[in-house]
Amino acid sequence: MSGGGPPRKRNFKIEAFKQRVELDPKYAERTWKVLEHAIHEIYNHNASGLSFEELYRSAYNMVLHKYGEKLYDGLQSTMTRRLKETSKSIETAQGGLFLEELNAKWMEHNKALQMIRDILMYMDRTYVPAAHRTPVHELGLNLWRDHIIHSPMIHRRLLDTLLDLIHRERMGEVINRGLMRSITKMLMDLGPAVYQDDFEKPFLEVSASFYSGESQEFIECCDCGNYLKKAERRINEEMERVSHYLDAGSEVKITSVVEKEMIANHMHRLVHMENSGLVNMLVDDKYEDLGRMYALFRRVPDGLSTIRDVMTSYLRETGKQLVTDPERLKDPVEFVQRLLNEKDKHDKIISVAFGNDKTFQNALNSSFEFFINLNNRSPEFISLYVDDKLRKGLKGATEEDVEVILDKVMMLFRYLQEKDVFEKYYKQHLAKRLLSGKTVSDDAERSMIVKLKTECGYQFTSKLEGMFTDMKTSQDTMQDFYAKKSEELGDGPTLDVHILTTGSWPTQPSPPCNLPTEILTVCEKFRSYYLGTHNGRRLTWQTNMGTADIKATFGKGQKHELNVSTYQMCVLMLFNNADGLTYKDIERDTEIPASDLKRCLQSLACVKGKNVLRKEPMSKDISEDDTFYFNDKFTSKLVKVKIGTVVAQKESEPEKQETRQRVEEDRKPQIEAAIVRIMKSRRVLDHNSIVAEVTKQLQARFLPNPVVIKKRIESLIEREFLERDKVDRKLYRYLA
Amino acid sequence: MMGKGEAPAPREPEEEEDTGGVVKLISAEGFEFVVDKKAAMVSNTLRNMLTSPGGFSETRQGEVRFPEISTHILEKICQYFYWSLHYSSGKETAEFPIEPEITLELMMAANYLDA
Repeated sequence: MSGGGPPRKRNFKIEAFKQRVELDPKYAERTWKVLEHAIHEIYNHNASGLSFEELYRSAYNMVLHKYGEKLYDGLQSTMTRRLKETSKSIETAQGGLFLEELNAKWMEHNKALQMIRDILMYMDRTYVPAAHRTPVHELGLNLWRDHIIHSPMIHRRLLDTLLDLIHRERMGEVINRGLMRSITKMLMDLGPAVYQDDFEKPFLEVSASFYSGESQEFIECCDCGNYLKKAERRINEEMERVSHYLDAGSEVKITSVVEKEMIANHMHRLVHMENSGLVNMLVDDKYEDLGRMYALFRRVPDGLSTIRDVMTSYLRETGKQLVTDPERLKDPVEFVQRLLNEKDKHDKIISVAFGNDKTFQNALNSSFEFFINLNNRSPEFISLYVDDKLRKGLKGATEEDVEVILDKVMMLFRYLQEKDVFEKYYKQHLAKRLLSGKTVSDDAERSMIVKLKTECGYQFTSKLEGMFTDMKTSQDTMQDFYAKKSEELGDGPTLDVHILTTGSWPTQPSPPCNLPTEILTVCEKFRSYYLGTHNGRRLTWQTNMGTADIKATFGKGQKHELNVSTYQMCVLMLFNNADGLTYKDIERDTEIPASDLKRCLQSLACVKGKNVLRKEPMSKDISEDDTFYFNDKFTSKLVKVKIGTVVAQKESEPEKQETRQRVEEDRKPQIEAAIVRIMKSRRVLDHNSIVAEVTKQLQARFLPNPVVIKKRIESLIEREFLERDKVDRKLYRYLA
Repeated sequence: MMGKGEAPAPREPEEEEDTGGVVKLISAEGFEFVVDKKAAMVSNTLRNMLTSPGGFSETRQGEVRFPEISTHILEKICQYFYWSLHYSSGKETAEFPIEPEITLELMMAANYLDA
C-alpha cells in the first residue's frame, strides 16, 4: 500500500515499530521457542490450535529485530531433527509397505512445509534474499533429499524397489501405478537432477539389459512378423508406462533404449530372416507386417535405408529375371503386363505399408529404370502392348479405363532410356493400325499421342500427328474422287487410297508388284484425278501395305467374301485364268518380292480352315518347286473369311537389326545438332564436357554412346563446323 | 471508493456467523471489520493465512485478530482492499486519499500485510 500517486510502490525501507525499540534481550529466545513449538505442532497435525496471525507476527518481529539468522538456523535444525526421525520410521517399514510409508511421510512433509513457509513468509520475503539463503520451501526439499532420499538405508532400497516393480509389471503383474506416480513425482519435485541420477539413469540401464536379453530370446524363436509385433508391443508398453507414472521427459529415452536393443541391434538379421524376412513379406503382400516394419525401422538410424536397400536389390533381381527370361520374351503383351503388375503390386505396398514414402517411390522407380533397360527390346514390347490394347484390348472399356491403361504405359515409357527406339516402333505399329483400319478408338489413339507430346515435346509426336492428318485428308480425297468420277468408273472394283506423306510414315520403298488389270485401270484413273488437282506431286503405290476384299465362288457354288492383303489378292486373281500354277509362275506374273510371296502363299495354302489354295506337295513350308491349285473343296462356316498374312508380330532377328540400324542412323543428325548447338553458345569446349553436355541434352530421348559422339565430332571437324585447338588438342573451337 | 455494497464500517463487537465468503478482521481495540475474502486477499499475508492447508485457527473461525493495528488504520486498510480490487484490473485509476498524519503507521501495516 502506498499513499497518493501511483499505487504499489514498495521500494522504501521500513523501520521497526517505534514502541518496540527497547527490546527485551530474552525476547528473541522466547519468540523462537513459540515458533519451534509451533513447527512441532504442525508436524504433529495439531495446527488447529495455533493462530496464524500470532505466529506470523512473531516471525515478523524476529526478522524485524535482526534475529532473522537465528530464526532461519533454528528452522533448519528443527526440520533436520524431524526428518531424521522420519527417516528412521521409513527405514523400519517392512517390505511392500516401504514405498507407502515413504509416500505418506512425503505428503506430510510437504503439507507441513507449506504451512511453515506461510507463517515464515515475512522471513522468506525480506531476510532470505538479503542474506542469500535458500528459500524455505526449497530448503525443506533439500533437507528431505539429503536426509531421506540420500540416507544410506533408503537410497538403494528405494531404487531397487522401483526397478523391481517395473520389472514385475513388464512380466505381466499388476502394480500400484498411483503409488509409483507419487514417488516419481516426488523425485521430480526434488529437482530433475534427483530424478535423473537416482532413478532414470539406472532405470535405463536395467531396461537396456532386460530388452537386450529379451530380444535375443525372441529372435531365436520367432519369425520376423511375430518379432516385430512383440517389439511394437514393448515400445507401446513403455510409452504407456511413461504416461502413467514416469516423467514425460523419459519417453524419448526409454523408447530409444527399446528401439536400439530390439530393432537397431537386430535390424539386418530381421530383414534377411529366412522365410519371413522383408523379401518374403514383399512377395506375399504382407501389408500389415510391412507397415509395422516401416513404422519400427523409421525410429532407428539407417532403419529405412536398410529396408530400402533390400527392397531395391530384390526388385532389381526379380526384374532382371523377368526381362531376361527367354520364356517371357515370347509374348510381348504378357511381358509388359507382367511389368505393370509388378509395378502395381509395389505401388500398393508403398502406399499401404510405407506411407507413400518419397524415397521408397524413388527406389522403386530407379529399380524399374534399371531393369527395363537391361533388355533392349523393352521399347518394342511396350509399343506392342499399346498396339495390342488399341487393336482389341480396349473393346468395351470405358474412357477412364483406357486412360488408366495408357497412363500406366506412359509410366513404363518414362523408364526407357531409348525413347527414340520406342518412337520408331510406335510409328510402325501406329501405321499398321491406321492403314488396316484396326484401331478401336480414335480418341484413345489421340489421347496416347497427347501423352507422348506432354512427355517429350512437340518434335517427338509431330510425325505421328502427321499420320493422323494424312488419314483424314485421304478420306476427303476419296469422297471427292467418287463424287466427281463415279459415272466414269462404272461398277468396277472400289478403290480406297490412303495418301501418305513421305517422311511421316515408316515406309520402306518397295517396288510395286504387278496389279491385276481391273485394279490397274481404277488406279490409273485415280492417279490422273489426283495429279490433276495437286500440281507437282508424285504418287507411288505401296502395294506391300494394302488390303482387299474379294468375292470368290467355290466348288459347290458356295460364296465367300475373302479379306486379304493386296499381295494375296494379286495371287488369287491369277487363279481366275488358271487352275494350277507353279511358284515360279506366280513369282514371274506378280513380281512380288520373294520373302513376301512365300509368306503370302503360306497363309493362303497352309493355314487350316483358310486354305483357299491347295499345294503340292503338302507341307508346312513353301519351297520354290511347289505347285498351287485353286482349292475347290474349301469350306467355311463364315461368309466372310479373313486371311491374315503370316506375320511375326514380334520382329524377327534381321528385322530387329535393321530397325536398330535405322535408329542409329537417325541418332547421328540429332547428336550433331546437339554438338553444334552447344558449341555455338560455348565457342570453346573440351572433349569430355561436350560429351557430358550432349548426353544431358539428349537423355530425354536416348542415351548417346560416347564413341558415337566422338565420331560425330570428327565428322563435324571434317566439314569445318569445328576445329581442334592448335595448342591443346583436347579443346574444340566453333567455326562460325 | 468502496466498490462493494457491504461497507467496511466499524461495528460494535457482536456475534458473526462464518459465511465463507467473508472474513472478520479485528483491530487492536477489538473493532471488527467484515470484508469479502476476495478483498482481504489483496494482502498476501491474509491470502496465505486463509488458504494455508492444515487449518490454523483463523481459517476455521473466519476471523483474524491484529493486536498491533489500531482501528483507524485497519479501517483505512479495508478501504484500500476495495479500492485496489476495483481499480487494479481496469485502466481507470483514482486517487486513494491518505491523511498525512497516519502515513507512517499505515505503511508499517502495509509491510506487515504485504499489500
